[in-house]
Amino acid sequence: MKTVIYGFSTEDLLDGLGLAQRIRELSGEELETFGFIVGAEPDVDGFDVIYKMGYAPTDAISKAILENISDTDIFIGPATKNGTDIATRLSAELDYPMITEVVDVDKVDDEIILKRQIIGGRGLAYYKFVTPITLTVPRKKFQPSKLDKKPEVKEVSIPEAKIRIIEELPKEKGEVDIEAAEVVVGVGRGFKSKEDIQMAFELAKLIGGEVGCSRPIAADFHWLGEDRWIGISGKKIKGKLYFAIGVSGAPQHIMAAGDAKIIVAVNKDKNAPIFKYADYGVVADLYQFIPVLIDRLKKRRG
Amino acid sequence: MDIGVLVKASLDGNMIRADPDGRINIENTPLLISEYDRNAVVEAARIKSEVGGKIYVYTLLTWGPTKKKKKELENVVREALALGGDEAYAVVDDRVIPCDVTSTAYILSNLIKKFGNPELILAGEASMDMLSSQMPIRLARHLGYNVVTFARKIELSDNKIRVTRDLEDKLEVVETSLPAVISVTGEINRPKLPTLLQIRKAFAKPFKVVGLDELELEDTGRKISYSDLRLITITRKNVIIEADKLEDIADILIDKLIEEGVVRV
Repeated sequence: MKTVIYGFSTEDLLDGLGLAQRIRELSGEELETFGFIVGAEPDVDGFDVIYKMGYAPTDAISKAILENISDTDIFIGPATKNGTDIATRLSAELDYPMITEVVDVDKVDDEIILKRQIIGGRGLAYYKFVTPITLTVPRKKFQPSKLDKKPEVKEVSIPEAKIRIIEELPKEKGEVDIEAAEVVVGVGRGFKSKEDIQMAFELAKLIGGEVGCSRPIAADFHWLGEDRWIGISGKKIKGKLYFAIGVSGAPQHIMAAGDAKIIVAVNKDKNAPIFKYADYGVVADLYQFIPVLIDRLKKRRG
Repeated sequence: MDIGVLVKASLDGNMIRADPDGRINIENTPLLISEYDRNAVVEAARIKSEVGGKIYVYTLLTWGPTKKKKKELENVVREALALGGDEAYAVVDDRVIPCDVTSTAYILSNLIKKFGNPELILAGEASMDMLSSQMPIRLARHLGYNVVTFARKIELSDNKIRVTRDLEDKLEVVETSLPAVISVTGEINRPKLPTLLQIRKAFAKPFKVVGLDELELEDTGRKISYSDLRLITITRKNVIIEADKLEDIADILIDKLIEEGVVRV
């Protein structure tokens, strides 16, 4: 089967290759793998050919992929915003079905089943694997092995497109990367003022973590930067501990925090949805409990 | 200039019902307007206040049974009308349920061409239930429109449309020409709940429900549909720590976190 894996970095190509190998393992079919990398140098083996091209609008990228590679059975791209955009353009142009954010691949009764999360991480949808198809893959879900083939690298030019990039602007950005943090303390609407968030920072410092937040804290109140916003359109965390304080647990927030190994929730509302998704819950007013917790942690450390 | 807005009646993530075997019980899970579609309606209303024209609301019922869900779809449409829509068109037909994104895009493109045919169409970046983000691009392909995704700002001038795209690590300002489909993110505006007066007025606005026959469609163009929708079994421990004094709760919690190996003292 002819497989095209595209992306914006070597990591994107590796993620796609991991999924492709899993499909090969279950289907028993040999894969011919083509890479397509945009705005970066490929540093990866395991492909027959890798095409590379300069950064361009997404419609130019999908056009270039289609102009250079035909008769593709499987397209795989990163489950990022641009990755999804390109995947859909390819699928719409060729009239392929598409499954975004494949989190698992299984074999059930001789059929390959692809799974993806739906409804804010509360459900899983199962799809039968068919070809042709387009798939997108989340970061680091599938690890590739045995990267022996040395690819031939071909440079391609950027085709004419309907979208023109005028400029790129930096995102309002702090210095934190909560997606990489092992411990994240989450700030929710239970906090009454920006100053009070200091408590969360103090706790985070004590337990070796970063501070993240729910949507209203970043998007509505602007008490914290968007780089700390945990949500489907924000950051996804996957460390060992998520400590949610005054967070009610909206579906988008839960989905983005769901990969944390242990979740702790502190909320004064015992019916807050977050408790259903927590390993340990404390039903208490955060203004009373967090200072006590900080105090106890400090005492233990002498 | 007329503007079209796509809205979806999505499964309510906070009210999911499941059968004992873990299958999601769609019939008993209520539908509500997809969160980002509210952003799209509000943005359409803002653009309308600058350039005039009419706002058409388009939708298709993707979840059945139609008899029960049609009422919920109507509520979703009324909310979109209350938030700024002028007229609404909906497809309700048993033959398309459960509807996947490829056939929905195909049917909606026919609905849009038949009723209103606006040259700017807005949609939310993803529906809150299926979250696949495919609709705007697939729809644009059927209509022959340009398409830009993930807008957090839209500026119109003459025949050009300038969009600030909100990507993970940067903002990208792009330009394209009309006609176009634009998907908007939750950051583009902050929708307020419609007022009672707005809701009352929404009931007086034109709202037409059609089936496939009225669109002269037979083939729904379905490509792939899920074979199963299951609730994720939550494997969290769900331990509520209780004690008389907050100090004791704190101590128990700290011990648990040390035991789990996630906090070191």
